[in-house]
Amino acid sequence: MSSDVRFTDFKSDKQPTWCPGCGDFGTMNGMMKALAETGNDPDNTFVVAGIGCSGKIGTYMHSYALHGVHGRALPLATGVKMARPDIEVMAAGGDGDGYSIGAGHFVHAVRRNVDMSYVVMDNRIYGLTKGQASPTSRSDFETATTPEGPKQPPVNPLALALASGATFIAQSFASDALRHQEIVQEAIEHDGFGFVNVFSPCVTFNDVDTYDYFRDSLVDLKEEDHDPNDYEAAKQVVLDGEKEYQGVMYKNENSVPYHEQHGVTEDMSDLPDGAPEGAMDLVREFY
Amino acid sequence: MVEDLNWAIGGEAGDGIDSTGKIFAQALSRAGRHVFTSKDFASRIRGGYTAYKIRTSVDEVQSVVDRLDILVALTQRTIDENLDELHEGSAIIYDGERSWDADIPEDIMGVDVPLKSLAEDAGGSIMRNVVALGAACELTGFDVEYLDESLEKRFGGKGSQIVENNKEAARLGQEYVRENYDLGDLGYDLETTDNDYVLLNGDEAIGMGAIAAGCRFYAGYPITPATDVMTYLTGRIEEFGGHVVQAEDELAAINMALGAARGGARSMTATSGPGIDLMAETFGLVATSETPLVIVDVMRSGPSTGMPTKQEQGDLNMTLYGGHGEIPRFVVAPTTISECFWKTVEAFNYAEKYQTPVYVVADLSLAVTEQTFEPETFDMDEVEVDRGKLVDEDDVDEWLDAQGRFRAHAVTEDGVSPRAIPGTTDAAHMSTGLEHDELGRRTEDQDDRVQQVDKRNRKVETAKEEETWEYRDFGDPDADTLVISWGSNEGALVEALDYLEDDGVDVRVISVPYIFPRPDLSEEIETADDVIVVEANATGQFADVIEHDALTRVKRINKYTGVRFKADELAEEITTKLTEEVPAQ
Ligand SMILES: Cc1ncc(C[n+]2csc(CCOP(=O)(O)OP(=O)(O)O)c2C)c(N)n1
Ligand code: SF4
Repeated sequence: MSSDVRFTDFKSDKQPTWCPGCGDFGTMNGMMKALAETGNDPDNTFVVAGIGCSGKIGTYMHSYALHGVHGRALPLATGVKMARPDIEVMAAGGDGDGYSIGAGHFVHAVRRNVDMSYVVMDNRIYGLTKGQASPTSRSDFETATTPEGPKQPPVNPLALALASGATFIAQSFASDALRHQEIVQEAIEHDGFGFVNVFSPCVTFNDVDTYDYFRDSLVDLKEEDHDPNDYEAAKQVVLDGEKEYQGVMYKNENSVPYHEQHGVTEDMSDLPDGAPEGAMDLVREFY
Repeated sequence: MVEDLNWAIGGEAGDGIDSTGKIFAQALSRAGRHVFTSKDFASRIRGGYTAYKIRTSVDEVQSVVDRLDILVALTQRTIDENLDELHEGSAIIYDGERSWDADIPEDIMGVDVPLKSLAEDAGGSIMRNVVALGAACELTGFDVEYLDESLEKRFGGKGSQIVENNKEAARLGQEYVRENYDLGDLGYDLETTDNDYVLLNGDEAIGMGAIAAGCRFYAGYPITPATDVMTYLTGRIEEFGGHVVQAEDELAAINMALGAARGGARSMTATSGPGIDLMAETFGLVATSETPLVIVDVMRSGPSTGMPTKQEQGDLNMTLYGGHGEIPRFVVAPTTISECFWKTVEAFNYAEKYQTPVYVVADLSLAVTEQTFEPETFDMDEVEVDRGKLVDEDDVDEWLDAQGRFRAHAVTEDGVSPRAIPGTTDAAHMSTGLEHDELGRRTEDQDDRVQQVDKRNRKVETAKEEETWEYRDFGDPDADTLVISWGSNEGALVEALDYLEDDGVDVRVISVPYIFPRPDLSEEIETADDVIVVEANATGQFADVIEHDALTRVKRINKYTGVRFKADELAEEITTKLTEEVPAQ
């Protein structure tokens, strides 16, 4: 693709309706920059979005895009990539979309290792439905539907990914623009399922997991001498309940993406005007 | 001389009933005889009664009848289950050496063959069913060489020794009967012909139709009786550049298929009742994003888990109305196994021409039943691929707005918008299940809303006019009695016409392969005295639709025992219905 693609080419002329200050602005900017930086352009990029404030992202970006039903972004993206190994596929959505209603698909998309990137805008709340607990909400996080907190431990998406056989696990923070872009870029470039959990604060409904909270608590793995190729080290980081990390936690350099393992390399969109050559053999088999 | 033979093998699930039946069916087919098979199976892997039935004739056969001539019984239950169908002159092949004492009804010839011992003589007890096939050949005078060919096909991959052992097993069975039984009065004449038929079931025909139509992507989740579609495609679709994904559930399956369709591939998923329920959430997304998608529902007995291995046509309403909101869609329902092929091909064309979900609704009886056909029935040269308004770089300009944005959901007269697949320069656009404007962007504007709803519905109107929504016509076109049917009942109904004719009852049968859009039958209904709708469900879902269309009441024949209609049974039911009053208006 042409090298003169700028990240603004991935911007649609539709103004986001996100609340001013929403983390999703920063998350999206980083995604667009990462796409442009990795040599993609809107005509060879397909963005699949979930449902939620985060899921609106497909509308504000310019590319081929599909905005599905709640929780099904990953199967949709898997289908696109299967039909079109030649196309850059990125899936995006919220923590509710990805780890609650879509949790089953998450596990299976991870273990399939389809060559795409998956960006989850984790605000630890349901934004679009106006502030209920999400699967990543703290167990004492009070909301209208959980007045005393969910009283259940939050889902640990990083550990879930690792346990499911992930080949790339990372976490970033929407307001640390450069690091976020860098990390998403690495996810795009990874041969396989590039998973990035992004701390993307909801300024309207979550007054606990705020910009300040993440700014103060985040530890960057870059400064921690962490080797993402070291599985044991990755295990320690993703299971560390004490600290919040950003950076690439795990990366399997030997990852072979699904389509290569299964020999799916052809663009499936091109068809002859009639039955494919050799189709009559299908009938002869039944003699 | 008996020319039309009804044969069955029955035993416990796990006894190899299916493969043995199939070997015999293939042998008959290779001998140029028509074959129609049916299966009785329970929803368990080991244990439980299971049977494979074959009806064979030199003339075409397309239904089962209540008659059994030769039964290979591996268990007493097999005999008990089939008592009604056995008749004077029937023969039961059984193994007297086995621990059970076969209780053979009077008038029926018991043919005691030491299946297991003879199989061991041939190289292994596992071949006892093949010994029985050899015995059956002797009983029916059927040339065992055809069986050899079938055994070669079945075991060829396992090496020549296995094939030879099996042939020997068949020979031993044949000789044993020849030496120990006087077959003077059985009198079968299984004529052979030079015809080379193919033998396949409905699920296989659907899978074959999909590949022929250019389907490249399939995602599914295993469920009886639709799994065979996935099994068929696996390993075959790859030869044509395609791929099958076994998804984690039906929600994933339909969404993967939808994703692949957005990528530009012809794409399909198949399931049965419980799975179609799960998929319903996505029906609307397929329609609203205007994505071409073929969704196959092979119906089984519901509701809930119902009777997974039994016949029913109970999902019509689900495919016709399922999903929230109002969803433009097409529903086609093959009435024969060969139609499973052709309607699947058609479904892909409708899906792409009209950018809608197209449901192919088949039923268990079609799916698991095998039937012989002339290979030309599936002439691949006749397959046409119509991709509809697929735009490429050259004609993209036509569809850009003043700002150069692609109008993926352009409001057109025929309701069909242009479709651009990823990679098409300047056509990048977004699609969504949200109501949207021409560009695919979310809107709650009243005018946009009405325009888009009307546009999508207009596709159906266009299709109603542009395509031919025919029905299949049988019997006497001037008869006062009109019988309407859909799905797999056609075969039994067509054969029922012979019984009815013998009784002097003239009937016209209309078999409808299109549920929506569907042919307008008001005239046919108006000119008939009696209208009877036949379907395998309890409430008459198709009858409801017919009554709605014709604004008149019809009579109904419903069967929901889990067992398919039989020709003789239908003839009787139709005769009874004729004496009944039409239900009150
Ligand atoms: C099947 C279904 N159930 C419920 C909803 C309502 N719903 C819309 S968004 C959402 C939660 C979104 O939360 P999250 O994924 O965290 O995204 P956010 O809005 O926080 O970005 C829910 C429950 C829906 N659209 N579909
Ligand atoms: S509600 Fe929260 S998540 Fe949604 S747009 Fe506003 S700040 Fe962002």
